[in-house]
Amino acid sequence: MDQVYKVAPQLLKFLSYLLGWLPWIGKPVAGFLSNPPAWFLLAVAIAIPILFVVSVFPGIFAYTTLVERKALGRIQNRIGPNRVGRWGLLQPIADGVKLLTKEDIVPRSADKFVHFLAPVIAVIPSVLLFSVVPVGAGLVPVDLNIGILFAFAISTASVLALFMGGWASRNKFSLLGAMRAVAQVVSYEVPMVLAAVAVVMAAGSLSTLAIAKAQGGGILNVTHWFVFRPWGFVGFILFTIGAMAESARTPFDIPEAESEIIAGYHTEYSGFKFALFQLGEYLASIAMAGITVTMFLGGYNGPGSGPGILGGLISMFWFFAKLGGMIVLTIWIRGTWPRVRVDQLMSFAWKVLLPMSIVNIVAVGMWHYIAIRPIAWVVTTLWLVLWFITLSKLAASENIEKREYRYAS
Amino acid sequence: MEIAFWILSAITVIGAILAITMRNLVHCVLSLILFFLGIAGHYLLLRADFLFAVQVLIYIGAVAVLILFAIMLTRHVTGTEGPREVLGGKWWAGMGTAVIIAGLLWAIIRKDPLAAMLPAGMASTSVTEIGRALVADWLVPFEAMGVLLTAALIGAVVIALEEVIRKR
Repeated sequence: MDQVYKVAPQLLKFLSYLLGWLPWIGKPVAGFLSNPPAWFLLAVAIAIPILFVVSVFPGIFAYTTLVERKALGRIQNRIGPNRVGRWGLLQPIADGVKLLTKEDIVPRSADKFVHFLAPVIAVIPSVLLFSVVPVGAGLVPVDLNIGILFAFAISTASVLALFMGGWASRNKFSLLGAMRAVAQVVSYEVPMVLAAVAVVMAAGSLSTLAIAKAQGGGILNVTHWFVFRPWGFVGFILFTIGAMAESARTPFDIPEAESEIIAGYHTEYSGFKFALFQLGEYLASIAMAGITVTMFLGGYNGPGSGPGILGGLISMFWFFAKLGGMIVLTIWIRGTWPRVRVDQLMSFAWKVLLPMSIVNIVAVGMWHYIAIRPIAWVVTTLWLVLWFITLSKLAASENIEKREYRYAS
Repeated sequence: MEIAFWILSAITVIGAILAITMRNLVHCVLSLILFFLGIAGHYLLLRADFLFAVQVLIYIGAVAVLILFAIMLTRHVTGTEGPREVLGGKWWAGMGTAVIIAGLLWAIIRKDPLAAMLPAGMASTSVTEIGRALVADWLVPFEAMGVLLTAALIGAVVIALEEVIRKR
């Protein structure tokens, strides 16, 4: 925000230079823009980050869908979309036009108001999440001192949209999807927040910008990334699993499992409302990837990043490169992993992820208090590895019984 | 600030009224969420940003979702609109309690013992200050709360386990 505030007058000067040649309105508009009043400057400074978030990330979403369809196609030995434009590059635009012009059908018995409200609420928290994601050195829409906590608080609201959509449709498959979504998000939130606590302890701040800043320095701005610490590596894996479950990406897509419950909570949605659900889900997934990058993969830090215009541009490049890497990783996992069962999902969250995240918090404490780095490395690594082996043994030692079906044979 | 206060108050009051007058149980919970959101906005207006985040995280993310989850486990999951009396036979008892509590609160706020306890000016509500206060000044009560909550958690699990054993 502060940086934007500095840039805004220069941007306005440039605009006034561009508009100065226009007849009639050119002169007064240029005069107004080159010497703007304070309220106008503030409005422009507020508008710039909002426009950035609202234009860039939905664009990333549109091309994520294309990359996803292409990559999934290749993984499944297909070609993927290649009819609209070269390599299917215009496919997202065609999809958008199709979804906008489709008929909007609302079931007769649906709860009209809640049915209408659900897709709206699905998008709001996802967009709000981007307000605390730093995209470059010092470039964050709002530098809240409770940044990470704000992100978690907002992301929990997205489950309400899933529930409202599923419940208001008055369809048993939608309702099943909504129930699954609520159960899943409630379970995976806990290990995810606890994994983030480790990072907050190490960085000593809840602000996303301060967390990213704490990972700068070292060789080529790389060696201080939290993922290159024993606790950071474990935390990265825990958080990535939690984030994927929270945004219902494929190994954890039981709320919308196509082969079981049609499309889950958005079965009864068509046209633009369906598009809004998709937008909300993908934006939340991209925002979570951005927060993962900020917390574990060094955020905007990379070779050459730093203050100034050139350093800032390089830092933006590194952030978006890492974000793209995380998105491709989620697509790759989606293409190669089978969907987990509901009971597997629950036991994995409560019996492995939750204890492991608590053990990880203890590891950060050890790392902080052992002053000699090599000893800290050995001790924390041993602690984490031993606990991981114990927990996986405990989780696996349950004797598997033959399943008994009540309503089937 | 004034306008924001009145808008937030309107949201809060409308949410509270809808939460007790709606016929459908799920609509009631959704109105309750609106009420929680209004309260969270009030915290933000008082510059208690940590309380705002906690309010959204705990009350909307956990309490309201838990209520929805509980409703889903009952037969009222489709939100059948049964007969519900908003004003029961003993409405005067509730009104009397409300009047007494409002009077008490007014008496307390009028004397304002809290303002005398606080240092002059706006008290700091930043996360750092709250964290310092919790683990330095109020360490023993904080830990006692933690033990108490853990005990409650274990108790809930034990009660649930007994039911499972009895069923077998």
